[in-house]
Amino acid sequence: MAGKVAGASAPAPGLAAPRQRAAAWSPAKGGLLLLALPLAMLALFFLLPLLVVLGQSFTAPAGPFDSYVRLAGDSALRNALTYTFQTAAIVTLAALVLSYPVAFLISRAQGRWLVIGMVFVLVPFWTSAVIRSYAWLVLLQRRGVLNEMMLALGLIDRPLRLTNTDIGTHVAMVQIMLPFMILPLLSAMRGIDASVLRAAAILGANPWRQFLHVYLPLSMPGVGAGCVLVFISTLGFYITPALLGGSSQMIAVAIEQQVSRLLDWPLASALATLLLVLTCLLFMLYERLNRRLAGAGEAR
Amino acid sequence: MSRVASTPLWRILSAGIVAFAVLVLIYLVLPTLVIVPLSFSSDTFLRFPPSGFSLRWYESFADSTDYQLAILNSLKIGVPAALLATVLGVMAALAVVRGSMPFRRTLAALMIAPLVLPQIVLAIGLFPLLAKVGLVGSYPGIVAAHAVVTIPLVFITVSAALRSYAPTFELAAMTLGANPWRTFRHVTLPMIRPGVIVGFIFALTFSFDELILAMFLTSPTTRTVPRLLWEQLNFQMTPIIAAATVVILTVTIGLLCLAVLAGASARRRMAGTARE
Repeated sequence: MAGKVAGASAPAPGLAAPRQRAAAWSPAKGGLLLLALPLAMLALFFLLPLLVVLGQSFTAPAGPFDSYVRLAGDSALRNALTYTFQTAAIVTLAALVLSYPVAFLISRAQGRWLVIGMVFVLVPFWTSAVIRSYAWLVLLQRRGVLNEMMLALGLIDRPLRLTNTDIGTHVAMVQIMLPFMILPLLSAMRGIDASVLRAAAILGANPWRQFLHVYLPLSMPGVGAGCVLVFISTLGFYITPALLGGSSQMIAVAIEQQVSRLLDWPLASALATLLLVLTCLLFMLYERLNRRLAGAGEAR
Repeated sequence: MSRVASTPLWRILSAGIVAFAVLVLIYLVLPTLVIVPLSFSSDTFLRFPPSGFSLRWYESFADSTDYQLAILNSLKIGVPAALLATVLGVMAALAVVRGSMPFRRTLAALMIAPLVLPQIVLAIGLFPLLAKVGLVGSYPGIVAAHAVVTIPLVFITVSAALRSYAPTFELAAMTLGANPWRTFRHVTLPMIRPGVIVGFIFALTFSFDELILAMFLTSPTTRTVPRLLWEQLNFQMTPIIAAATVVILTVTIGLLCLAVLAGASARRRMAGTARE
């Protein structure tokens, strides 16, 4: 059992009954004492700044709710909001469709293929988003790799405009988000017992029905967790849209511009408050899904 | 399944799935791979394929005082931030996983929240706050900010490590008369060490990589590598960025390989002692 120490997110073995856990390591008092410092840090450098954002959003010179009124009236900012949600939905859906088969194959791979698969997923995961956005710029720009290749192959006779377009930005964002979808899918899929599929086959289900009625429902917690994770991260996406651009602005880019170019802190804070509330709601959803996933794991 | 799976239709379908997955994996690594040949280019602007190869951009990267300063700053900010995040993250994980307090789920969610929240929101809240106490552009300000957003990484890895073994080990030590500190030092820490190390390395990598907080909270004298890269991207596009990228990438992947090896060797050692 000791060998499991490094195994990430392995569910607690049956030994860890709640009654024993309460008695072990620290008396209840010690637990609170331990929590004091991390909580103080979070209160000071996380919760307090969020309150500052909220407070700032009501400090517009023309009245406390002025920035929200302007937010509702400004069509460019309203556009940014809908565009951000649209982008988040597109990126999430595309990432799910691309990730599912990959996660499925990696979850069944063993030995060398498993290592190769994980390297392909983890190297981009740990490559800086600045660097990957830059790489996409190199790939997509007017005299970039993609255009030069298509010109050489005779597929096009004039370079296509790929940067500053929605399609280029989305292609880059999906690539950056893929690992956030593949990893939760993988952890759910690795927990699926292969004998369940065999049982379905013995009972006469063809592979399609095995997938639809057995495998897909069992992988749903991973699908849910991955989708919420990618959706939330895309809502706050700054680097790639700021560099590659698109037809409209993402919220995070709009906030940064309000602050550093227009110096409109109240309006930026109102936008940020909106983003904060939406992210919080989605995070709560994610927590609930996670809990259900953990519950399913313990039941097994 | 085997009988149906051997029909031609299903064989074509499964070959299709494999081909699709391979294409997705290529899409995943392609951007990283394109940078490498560009960094060896002899051109003065980004062109693919490069018209010739040279090490000139690596030389100018090595000579650049801007990059030297930025790398030094990234270290001066990343190492203390990751250490702080590790200490606080371990404390929080111990309290939440092993303690018996009310609202444990809420506390756990709160500990993860800084990682989930878009950094731009935190940045525009922290900036006026730190400006008031004169910490914008200073090391302590950005170190605190990076520590807060990386506590979740340590919290997650250490919580997983703590959940992977029963608390009876600690119970035994305490029954034998060890005080909480000795119990932690000689029982808990050896058990969770891989989780702590992996959490620390994740935190370090995150800090080396973080742009938005650095944009708001550092000054030209304390700016980190991502901020320098970002500023260069918006002004000039020479292959020096590609060279810098390859160097940073190599170091990052090296660090992560170390993390994986540390985890694997600890696992082996643990497995070995368990067998004896």
